[in-house]
Amino acid sequence: MSRDPLVVGNVIGDILDPFVKSATLRVLYNNKEVTNGSELKPSAVVNEPRVEIQGRGTRTLYTLVMVDPDAPSPSNPTKREHLHWLVTDIPETANASCGNEIVSYESPRPTAGIHRLVFVLFRQSVRQTIYAPGWRQNFNTRDFAALYNLDDPVAAIYFNCQRENGCGGRRYL
Amino acid sequence: MWSFEHLDRLPNKRGSCSSTVLPQPPKRRTMEELWKDISLNASKLDQHGLYHHSHPADSCSSPFPNMILQDFLAGPLNRPPYPPPAVVEELPLPPPQAALSLNSGLEFQFLGEPDQAKTHSNSSSNNVGGNAANGSFISSALSAGPPSPTAIFSFCSRKRSTTERPGAADRCQIRMIKNRESAARSRARKQAYTIELESEVSHLKEENAKLQRQNEELMRNQVVATKSTLQRSSTAPF
Repeated sequence: MSRDPLVVGNVIGDILDPFVKSATLRVLYNNKEVTNGSELKPSAVVNEPRVEIQGRGTRTLYTLVMVDPDAPSPSNPTKREHLHWLVTDIPETANASCGNEIVSYESPRPTAGIHRLVFVLFRQSVRQTIYAPGWRQNFNTRDFAALYNLDDPVAAIYFNCQRENGCGGRRYL
Repeated sequence: MWSFEHLDRLPNKRGSCSSTVLPQPPKRRTMEELWKDISLNASKLDQHGLYHHSHPADSCSSPFPNMILQDFLAGPLNRPPYPPPAVVEELPLPPPQAALSLNSGLEFQFLGEPDQAKTHSNSSSNNVGGNAANGSFISSALSAGPPSPTAIFSFCSRKRSTTERPGAADRCQIRMIKNRESAARSRARKQAYTIELESEVSHLKEENAKLQRQNEELMRNQVVATKSTLQRSSTAPF
C-alpha cells in the first residue's frame, strides 16, 4: 500500500495540488541523481544541477521552478515559498541550460530546520515570455501557474537540505 | 490519631469490604518491608529537617504522633518508618519523592491520591486528629499503595508548570505543540523517503528481470544463429 512521496512529504498540499505525472524529471547534482525525499548538504547543491526531461518526445517546451517552501524555517514558514531557480523554454532531452534562465540559480543555504527544496516541471503549450517576479520570497507556485496558463505540473521532485554543520542554535518562542 | 491497631478494631460492617481494611497479616508485612526500605533512605535525610511538625500530643496511641492529616494523605512513601523511633521531632523528607519530583520538596503535598482524599483534606485542613469518619477513606488511601512513579512524574510536571509563573504554562504548551509538529514532519520525511526507495527498488527489480530475460533471449538467438552458420558454404570440386 504505497503512496506518493510527494503526498507524504506534504509537497502536494503545501505547494502543489494533486496532479498526474506525465513526464520524467531527473535532477543530477555532480552527476548523481537526486532521489525523491533524500537529503543533500548545502555544499553538494552549490551549483545548479543538470536537468533531464523525458516526456512525449515531441517538440514541447518545459518550465522548471525550484522553490523552498520552508523559508525561513519549517515551523515558521513566513516566507513560503522562496524562489531559487526559474527556467523556461527547456526543450525535451536537453539540459536546463538550453532554456531561458529567468531567475538565476541560488544555492540553498538553510539556517534553521530541515528545508524541502522542490523542483516543479510545467509543460508549456506555447513559447511564452515569463517575467521574473520582483523578489524571491513569498513566491506562489500555484498563482504562478495560473498567471501564465501553465496547466497542472507534469512532474515534481524534492529533496531535503539543512545546515552544513550544527543546528542553527536554540529558537526562542 | 489513627493506627493499624486502631483499624483492627473497626466494626464488622467495614470488615465486609475487607479489601479496604488494611491490617491483615500479609499486607502488614509488605508495608513493613516498604517502610524498612524507606527508613534506610530516610535516615540519610534526617539532618535536612525539611519537614517540621509539632502537634499537641493526642490521647490515642498512634505510631505517627507528629503526623498531620495532609502528611498522611501525601502517600505511603511519605510516611516515616514504622514502627517509628521513640522520639520523632521531624519527619524526614521521603527520598522517592525527592528523587522523582521536579520542584523543591516543600511545594509537594499531594501525590496522586484519589480525589476524595484531597477534597476531604481540604475541608478538614485544620483537623489534626483523625476520627472514625475519616477512617474509611484513610483506609482506602492506605490500600491504594505507593503511587506509580509515572503518575507522580506527570503530576509533578503539571504542578510545576502552573506554580512557577502564569505565562510558563502557555510557553510549555506552545513548545509542546511545536515539538509535536516537528516530530510529525520528521516522521513524514522518513516515511516519504522510505516509500520512494521501496518503489525504486521494485522498479529496478522489474527492470532487471526484464533485461535479464532479454539477455537470455538474445543469447539463445545468437547460439542458434551461430549453429546455422556452421554449414558448408562451398565444397571442393574434386
